[in-house]
Amino acid sequence: MLDKLRRFNWIMFAAMIALIVTGTVAIWSAGNARAEAIFHGMWLANLWTAIAGLVIYFMFAFTDYRKLIAWTATPAYAVSLVLLVAVLIFGAKVYGGRRWLWFFQPSEIAKLGVICLLAKLFGGEPRRTFRWFMVGCALIAVPVGLILLEPDLGTALTLIPATLLMLFVARVWRRGLVTLLAAGGILAFAVLGAVYEAEKPGVTEARRTAILKWVPLKPHQVKRVRVFIFPDEDLTGAGYNLRQAKISIGSGGLSGTGIGKGQSNHLKYLPPAISMNDFIFCVYAEETGFIGSLLLLGLFGALLLPGAWIAVMAVDGSGRLIALGVSTLIFAHVWINIAMSIGLVPITGLPLPFISSGRTFLVVVMAGLGLIQSVSIHGRDKTT
Amino acid sequence: MDREASIVSDLSCWATMAVFAIGLIVLAVHLKEVQVVASPDYNYEKARQSVRRVQTAGMRGRILDRRGRVLADNRRCVSIVCNAAAYQKRSWDATTEAITEAIRQIGRVIGRDTHLTERSIRRHVNQSLAIPLVAWRDLTDEELARFAERERLYPGFSIVESEERHYPFGSLASHLIGYVGRDRGSGDAGDEKFNFRDFELYGRSGLELYYNGFLRGVPGERKLLVDARGFTEREWVVSEPRRGPDLMLSVDADIQRVAEAQLKGVRGACVVMDPRDGSVLAFASSPSYNLNDFVPTLSQEVYDRYLNDPAKPLLNRASGGTYAPGSTFKPITALAGLSMGYPDNEQYDCTGAFELGNMKLHCARRWGHGPISVRTALKVSCNTFFCNLGCDVGTNAVISAAKAFGLGSKTGIDFTDDRAGIVPDDEWKRKTYGERWYPGDLAQMSIGQGMLLASPLQMAVVAGAIGTGYVVTPHLKAGAEVVRRPLPFDEHSLAVVREGMRQVVEGGSGERGGDGVEVSVAGKTGTAEFGPMSNRRKNTWFIAYAPADRPRAAVALIVEDGESGGGTAAPRVAEILKRMFNAR
Repeated sequence: MLDKLRRFNWIMFAAMIALIVTGTVAIWSAGNARAEAIFHGMWLANLWTAIAGLVIYFMFAFTDYRKLIAWTATPAYAVSLVLLVAVLIFGAKVYGGRRWLWFFQPSEIAKLGVICLLAKLFGGEPRRTFRWFMVGCALIAVPVGLILLEPDLGTALTLIPATLLMLFVARVWRRGLVTLLAAGGILAFAVLGAVYEAEKPGVTEARRTAILKWVPLKPHQVKRVRVFIFPDEDLTGAGYNLRQAKISIGSGGLSGTGIGKGQSNHLKYLPPAISMNDFIFCVYAEETGFIGSLLLLGLFGALLLPGAWIAVMAVDGSGRLIALGVSTLIFAHVWINIAMSIGLVPITGLPLPFISSGRTFLVVVMAGLGLIQSVSIHGRDKTT
Repeated sequence: MDREASIVSDLSCWATMAVFAIGLIVLAVHLKEVQVVASPDYNYEKARQSVRRVQTAGMRGRILDRRGRVLADNRRCVSIVCNAAAYQKRSWDATTEAITEAIRQIGRVIGRDTHLTERSIRRHVNQSLAIPLVAWRDLTDEELARFAERERLYPGFSIVESEERHYPFGSLASHLIGYVGRDRGSGDAGDEKFNFRDFELYGRSGLELYYNGFLRGVPGERKLLVDARGFTEREWVVSEPRRGPDLMLSVDADIQRVAEAQLKGVRGACVVMDPRDGSVLAFASSPSYNLNDFVPTLSQEVYDRYLNDPAKPLLNRASGGTYAPGSTFKPITALAGLSMGYPDNEQYDCTGAFELGNMKLHCARRWGHGPISVRTALKVSCNTFFCNLGCDVGTNAVISAAKAFGLGSKTGIDFTDDRAGIVPDDEWKRKTYGERWYPGDLAQMSIGQGMLLASPLQMAVVAGAIGTGYVVTPHLKAGAEVVRRPLPFDEHSLAVVREGMRQVVEGGSGERGGDGVEVSVAGKTGTAEFGPMSNRRKNTWFIAYAPADRPRAAVALIVEDGESGGGTAAPRVAEILKRMFNAR
């Protein structure tokens, strides 16, 4: 047991605890700005969820991940798919999407399911053939497709880089993966270019409609891309959220307004519906300033870099895949969430790990980190 | 298992770690751009959308008479206001309804309906949500007590105090003081715009208007922090409004009161001035109006009553009304003649009328005064004499004498109405009537008739100038700089005219002008006829200065539709002079 504790990555654990505390404070501040009393206690709910998450974390950490994925990866993946189908049928409709089944979001659980299954299948023998490439892509595409049906573009967008990276480092027909990535990149640029052509000033309505007909996006997504390209237009309409997000973050300055004193949040310039979730970084950044932002990025660094370090230290492929897959998943959330808040990428709905108030996601992230700790404890060469 | 045999290479792991590190650094660099470099811009944006500047009205200075008696005062005015934030609902309609309902309930409690309509409440919610909505203005103590009992039941409603204009003497010097209206203050506080301005009292006429900038004080500033919907979250005072200075007048309320009493029941005006420095001591116009009728706002009903009154009470006759000066102009004709070298003992023969071509101007005495010289002609106000004199010295001499007294141009008084009147000449007549100047026009002008027009204020200046030898610029503000210029007439001519005017009061046409006055009075009557021959009407004048040797008062008084200058106007002037000079 002592040996296990020695191999336990304490830096990563400490960073996680610090992030949980930071998130709880941010949720407290964002919740207090809401008129409804239910949100005032949200920080406490978050804390209880984190404690539940810790139980799962330690359970996963001290179980050998090889046994865990050997027994559970396939059933977990299957259950995820069932839940994803169920949520499309029985899910409650909130803000225009069916994402909630009872008290949790199946799409969050599916993230872990896919990563575990990929780690199990591609961590051992080399699988460089086209056939395996197709299998890997299919295993990713089915849950991603179901998630896109909800629709939940943000979750899909974080799952794709994490899983494709896993296939890539597992050397699954790299030529095919590179081609796929290139195609994706070209498509993204084509969409950006088309929306620019359609929405730039002076374009007639007929031409605009004609161009947008070829763009594979829903109208609200076109709007978000438009806001991304032209952030200074339609400031009271589609561009409102981004502008308020930037005002909130930017007005924080070096040291912020003080915790619980964020004005954009309390005066509801940041729409309350998103200030506790996807845009909570704005609340945090206004109250703690650039110093707080750096601190937060530092904590994420202290969480993610050890994740990659554990991959280096792990001796087997599936351990490395788990460590890299989970870390990349979290990294994608962090990067896209913060980048969208300052207009680096188009706005899309996805939570900031530990900081946003989302309980399923918190538990899933902690479970994932528990898996990485398991790799740290059980995956090393016994001599080190 | 050999580590290097793992399907995932070390390089992949290190590369992923590098991606994490670079990704976080990229975010840090961009966040520095937003939070440090561009922070002032975003802070400005934040303030622009969430901070509203409100200009608070400066309290208005009072208006005092020369002895510090308050003519225009401020009184406390209690209002009930509603802060809409306490009634915010999901929709604007629901918010409006909630406020309307609360106002209806409070209206029942205090027993007075609000002046607000549902429409005006809706407009407030739409346009000026951030500032309080005034639901009741100027509560009585009783209404206030009833509200105070239930105040706790209506969060968002509170009592605010403001100031309302109050005129302790009601109609005294109403034309002089003028009235105020409510206005959103004007934007003269620098370049920065205010989002809202409190109602402010703003001068609309008279001294309230002329000295508005002096009286209004310095507006203060409040800032409101509003939320995304526009409700006020918090407010703070940036600068307190400051009270404007009091305006002290040269006017003496006692003399003003006597002057107004003398005009009671008639249409007319009276100006009393200190000819030494131009201080206006009384400035009366009759009929007058009650200044308190205009507070807080003039009702349409009262306004219509004032407007439709044939006596035109809103008209300021003292400086805004012009009349033919009639015989009060004769001293000026006399000075024109005497200064041109006309001997003071030369006589004209008055046969009872002056004839020129087919024009015949009657003298007051139908059978004539016989041979008459200038002093006596002034004393008895002989038309024939002055027609002859005027025609002898010529048009230019008479006109330049009139202009030397300031007739035909503004007096320069610190007041809104300052009518110039008319001193007609050839050019003016051609322009106005398309006719040339006839000798008959000169004869008319020489006795103050015809097209000549002057205001009572101008005639007070004329009276004083004859007495002192200086034309002074009249002023209403106490302690104003004295501006005066000497008359361009020799001392002898002035002495002759002064002597004539003394005789007017000592047994002449205006002998009642000195009745009972304990100092010597010099004056001149005037009875200016106007209107069609079938319904000839007379404006009756008396101008005077006293004491005759060292004048301290110059008076001009006119009564419209009077009997005669000596009978109607002179005794009224005597009453005013008695109040000023007789020991009490």
